[in-house]
Amino acid sequence: MTNATRVSTGNLLSDDQIADFVINGYHIVEPQFPPEFHAGIYDELQALPSNPGDDINKAIPKIDEVYEHPAVVGALASLLGHDYTKAAHRHCHRNHPGTRSQQWHQDSLNIPMLSDGHGRVPDHVQSVLVMYYPQDVASNMGPTALIPGSHLFLAAGDRNASHGNFRDQIVAVVPAGSVLILHYDIWHAGTANTSDLVRYMVKYLFERASESAEPSWDHDGANDVHILERLERDEAALIQRSLVPKRNYRRAAMWNNLAGDASIGYEYRDKWAGEWPKPVK
Amino acid sequence: MALKQRLLYLSAQSTDPRSPAISQALHEPVKGTIVEIDPTRDSLDYDTVHDAIIYGWRVVHFPDQRGTLSDSDVDVLGYQFILEKMEQFDD
Repeated sequence: MTNATRVSTGNLLSDDQIADFVINGYHIVEPQFPPEFHAGIYDELQALPSNPGDDINKAIPKIDEVYEHPAVVGALASLLGHDYTKAAHRHCHRNHPGTRSQQWHQDSLNIPMLSDGHGRVPDHVQSVLVMYYPQDVASNMGPTALIPGSHLFLAAGDRNASHGNFRDQIVAVVPAGSVLILHYDIWHAGTANTSDLVRYMVKYLFERASESAEPSWDHDGANDVHILERLERDEAALIQRSLVPKRNYRRAAMWNNLAGDASIGYEYRDKWAGEWPKPVK
Repeated sequence: MALKQRLLYLSAQSTDPRSPAISQALHEPVKGTIVEIDPTRDSLDYDTVHDAIIYGWRVVHFPDQRGTLSDSDVDVLGYQFILEKMEQFDD
């Protein structure tokens, strides 16, 4: 069965949701399952005698049901095309009380399971990290932190080691069952668990199999001007102004690589006409 | 009691100490303390380097004036100032 047969239009992302992902580098899905479903997975994770690594889905087959939920499939097909593939690499993070935070990082490219061994891709969506949380994640339970918009930049981990907290960091405080889809290159970190609860996060990787000939989401070309304005204007996180041209160029390139033949042509338009500035009080 | 150095790393949007702070890390001169991303906080201690100076911090390192090159392959977010405050700590 291909993904195309499983995706209903209602589960595809909208133009604005795709723009959100291009701008921020993440998207959250809350697939609907009975509450006991996630609690059951949590109990099974607690009972595992060791980390099954890539075989986490064989140890607990119910986890695959999360990643096969129509809402998750619709989001992945929107971002990666309907023929996207699941990488063989999977991982379950068990974050015990007392676990310290990681440093900001982009995930390693040295994963042989990534099929084409590509490098950083700041102008496309080639791979995504998909994180599933089977329990509520409170702010003191070691939530995943990320810097919105950082997927458009290439980090030098050692030069970024002294940053600590970012003003505009996003912390994934989410209800049980949430699925966090991340651009593979986003700067992120697991944070400290100062609670008395174990926090689990199961990570799968998904990849693009082919280039886009047309948008794989719920696209309407009438939104093009609005989308282009957003790509030029929306702030993800505060950065130095000298990076803004590179950021905006990569946003537009990413959108157009996703959109295929429906890419947005850039034409000059006067963005400055309008009301005079108000007097300073 | 001993006079010891507290270190505050503040990255700002530009080399101007009044530009908005992007990130912060505070290193206390106490054995065993660590610097971590704190997911329970939703703001930084200081909005700008200048704000920190008002509260008694002293700049000991200014960011490289060459800044970020638009054609650089590797990006560093912000311009990092390092500040210190000398205070009495128990040994």
